[in-house]
Amino acid sequence: MIPIEIRKAESDKPRARFERRPEDAPEDLREKAFELEAKGEWIVQRVPGPHAEVKTKYGKIKKIPLQHTWHHKSCGQCGHIPGYSTSIFWLHRRLGFDYNDPRDQTSCTAWNYYASATSNAAAQAAVAMRNFAAAYETGYFPIIHCATSYGHYKEVRSELVHHKELRDQVRDVLARMGRPFVIPEEIVHYSEWVHAVRHEIAKRKVLDLSGITVTVHPACHYYKLVQEDAIYDADVYGGARTAIVTGVVEALGARVADYSTWFDCCGFGFRHILVQRDFTRSFAVQRKIEVMREEANPDVTLTHDTGCVTTLDKSQFAGQAHQGVKPAIPVMSEAQFCALAMGAHPYRVCQLHWHAAEYRPLLEKMGIDWKERWREFEDDLERLKKEPGKVMTWDDVDAAPRPAPEHLAHGGR
Amino acid sequence: MAAAAANPVVPYAEKERLFLEVKSDPRFADYLYGCYECGICVATCPSARFYDFSPRRIAQAAAREDVDLFYEQMNGEIWECSQCFSCLRCPRKNNPGGLITVMREVAVRNGLHTAKEALEGYSRIIYKIMSTGTQVSPDMIRPDAFPDWGPTAKQTGDNLELWRRAMPPDTMHTTTTSWEIDDKTLGELYFIWHKTGVMDMIKTLDESLHMILMDVMEEKLEEAGYDVQ
Amino acid sequence: MSSEQILIIGGGPAGLEAARGVADLGYKVVLVEARERLGGTPISSNYAALTHGMRDASEVMGEMAAAVTGNPNVEVRIGARVTSRSGEAGRFSVTVESGGRPEAIEAGAIIVATGFDHFDPGRATQQYGYYQYDDVLTLQDVEAMLKIKKFVKPSNGAAPERVCFIQCVGSRDRHIGNEYCSKVCCGIASKQAIEIRQMLPNCKVFIFYIDMRMYGYWENEIYWPAQEKYKVNYIKGVISDITMKGDKLMIRGEDTTMNRPMEVPMDMVILSVGMEPSKGTKEVIQVLGIAKNKYGFVETPHDSLETVSTSVPGIFVAGAAAGPKDLDDTMGMAGAAAMKAVGFVRKLNRAVA
Repeated sequence: MIPIEIRKAESDKPRARFERRPEDAPEDLREKAFELEAKGEWIVQRVPGPHAEVKTKYGKIKKIPLQHTWHHKSCGQCGHIPGYSTSIFWLHRRLGFDYNDPRDQTSCTAWNYYASATSNAAAQAAVAMRNFAAAYETGYFPIIHCATSYGHYKEVRSELVHHKELRDQVRDVLARMGRPFVIPEEIVHYSEWVHAVRHEIAKRKVLDLSGITVTVHPACHYYKLVQEDAIYDADVYGGARTAIVTGVVEALGARVADYSTWFDCCGFGFRHILVQRDFTRSFAVQRKIEVMREEANPDVTLTHDTGCVTTLDKSQFAGQAHQGVKPAIPVMSEAQFCALAMGAHPYRVCQLHWHAAEYRPLLEKMGIDWKERWREFEDDLERLKKEPGKVMTWDDVDAAPRPAPEHLAHGGR
Repeated sequence: MAAAAANPVVPYAEKERLFLEVKSDPRFADYLYGCYECGICVATCPSARFYDFSPRRIAQAAAREDVDLFYEQMNGEIWECSQCFSCLRCPRKNNPGGLITVMREVAVRNGLHTAKEALEGYSRIIYKIMSTGTQVSPDMIRPDAFPDWGPTAKQTGDNLELWRRAMPPDTMHTTTTSWEIDDKTLGELYFIWHKTGVMDMIKTLDESLHMILMDVMEEKLEEAGYDVQ
Repeated sequence: MSSEQILIIGGGPAGLEAARGVADLGYKVVLVEARERLGGTPISSNYAALTHGMRDASEVMGEMAAAVTGNPNVEVRIGARVTSRSGEAGRFSVTVESGGRPEAIEAGAIIVATGFDHFDPGRATQQYGYYQYDDVLTLQDVEAMLKIKKFVKPSNGAAPERVCFIQCVGSRDRHIGNEYCSKVCCGIASKQAIEIRQMLPNCKVFIFYIDMRMYGYWENEIYWPAQEKYKVNYIKGVISDITMKGDKLMIRGEDTTMNRPMEVPMDMVILSVGMEPSKGTKEVIQVLGIAKNKYGFVETPHDSLETVSTSVPGIFVAGAAAGPKDLDDTMGMAGAAAMKAVGFVRKLNRAVA
């Protein structure tokens, strides 16, 4: 008889850690882009140094630029969640990383494209490549604020790599505008930058967040489009779920609580949130907010996309009217949360007065004297009211000195 | 949206033409392989939980080349998709959301009445994005447009001009656009819409919208010296 | 003059059956097994009852091993690996290392029987939480439990009330790259479902599938009794992800028959993981210099009916080293490989003589 080693216990499941293997990854579009560059089809803009390295779904390395970044803004963020964009810029300033906030930038136009399809593959690709060309010509590397822009641009890259006719058509359009035909080496979302520098952010926090419970909502367009190109970290969910947002919240010492609809979309719908909102708010409230409240009871829910912040923040009011008032779950981006953790002004920087779901109990719990901060902001408003055309500047906001040069020497790490 | 079964008013040849227009899109082969009806796309789909909508039926109709069913979907279901791309879990690597994007483009390009209906009330947003380069600008969040967004919609509306000056980024002190855009950039955007055939799509969809956009764009295009013929 | 010794690499069902076959034909065998014991995957993965005869795996493998270890024609090398190959058909010279000591072995023909590994469910495109949740298991985890007749929730030791299987995990998937069907998982899941229902008559068991594949007699011996006698629920619609709600696992899918999305709580979820080429198979392919197919299994010529030939004359393959196989396939291939290996060597010697 063969000597047999019976499992010790019925629960003796091989509990080895999951190891990802780069050889399981599908074709690498970045390699394909370099091959096309070698054939003279386009220019690939390199990630400037110093840069950080993170790992994606199959354990491959992705380069994340730390500074010299051209900020591809989000129309939804700048339009009605201005504290989101402001916080991203503020974090860069606080960490000592220079950036370019361009006027030579259009929206990615993907919100309209996904809502109405009153566009086509060539127009969308041309819009993307025009923005990339604009970045390239400044010498700064594009970093993208909205997860839909990011997912859309990843798709555009895939279409351009695989379809020569489309490439030729778009190159021609750009040539007629006198623009070079350039694609960046990596398509980078700002939340990937936040993940890469999360320990630097954590080092600079001034609040104790150990009593704060957070639920994380990952954006569909971040990790479901071109799935291999998204950050997965062996230390976060064992590498089984995308690591952005969760990574930085854990680094900040707050508690991340799970909930059973983690993988669900928020219900934004692109078209629906504008003209058929019964779908959006029903879905957001029933599938996300209520589930989070019931299972995790969070102090705040954090996400990393314009549409998701909008949906989750704006859908709760009608939901409350429908079921009777239940406490709202405040909603913001992880960028705003990081900024608050580092002592940013909740109104001058995080612009929380634009948010619909009640956030003041959260600020109190975080130890932020929002009443005093609002009084200061009202004083700012009074000053601005008195002088038409006067605007708030970074000097008004950045009372703190710039970080010491040694932070820059290690690329901020 | 209700759809008549095997619409007798529309000739089969026309339905087939529309199907073939979708099929001949270069992306079609990337978006549709085989479908073994596993339902993972429906499992992850937010619209499937709310509407009688099924990405699986979209993939099946296209794979079977069921021209009648496809035509029904093109006139109904496709507008219920939230374009979240959760359906990309498909083990065969089908992309029902992507198929829908192409179907919508074809619907718009051909001026289908149901497309115009679905986009009713949406034209001001098309106008905004195409002519100003950003979408859903600060001045669009008004309590009459977004009453369900709560009291902040009124507060931001009432204080818009002042609040927009009360933020540090120097490109964001705008109300009619999300950020300040260069004139030159706008000219390039208009050129893209013209050169890639998007303006023709708009013309079929909504003639008056098209006229207004042309008014806005023509001047800038001329100034920049672009030849859009 | 060809060596009349046949080298067989792998001591699982394929290798043991091939070795017995060659020995019965009167030829000498050197059987090399990398693990510390014979029996292959059924033993190392603690299989309980073999599909479809339902005989106890250790009993069956014990019999197969006994037919070989006592056999004067067979030399068994345990804990040994093949590290290089030179020479050609009829006179292969292979280095076998055991305990760090290399040994040169001559062989007229070689049979590769290095088998498969179970797919690692952490790699599934769908998010199944295998490494996160104690109560999400694989088929082989369940075999181990059934072997000691204790089927309970690993998280708290309680008997489950609702259990489900998810089919095609790691197979039939373009994202993962394993586009093939792993052949046995539908039958094995159904077999396990029957065993669970026998042990726990109050437990509801579900199988979520894309297609139910039980060919030939597996249909009437396994599928029909599972549904008719044991009331296993078969639902067409594969699962997209697993999360936790309270102390229950929540699974999401579409009930495609009823045309609606579904979300159901379960106490335990069993992933029907597919087959991939084993580490040993990948190593041996490299060392012997034989062709592999796009999935990394040993390549056999499809268009001819040569089920056990490889790209190198004189090197044969048997069992799951060549792709997903059930036990019937494996035993059939092993016999064929034994016959062909011996025939090959005899022909060479007759030609010379």
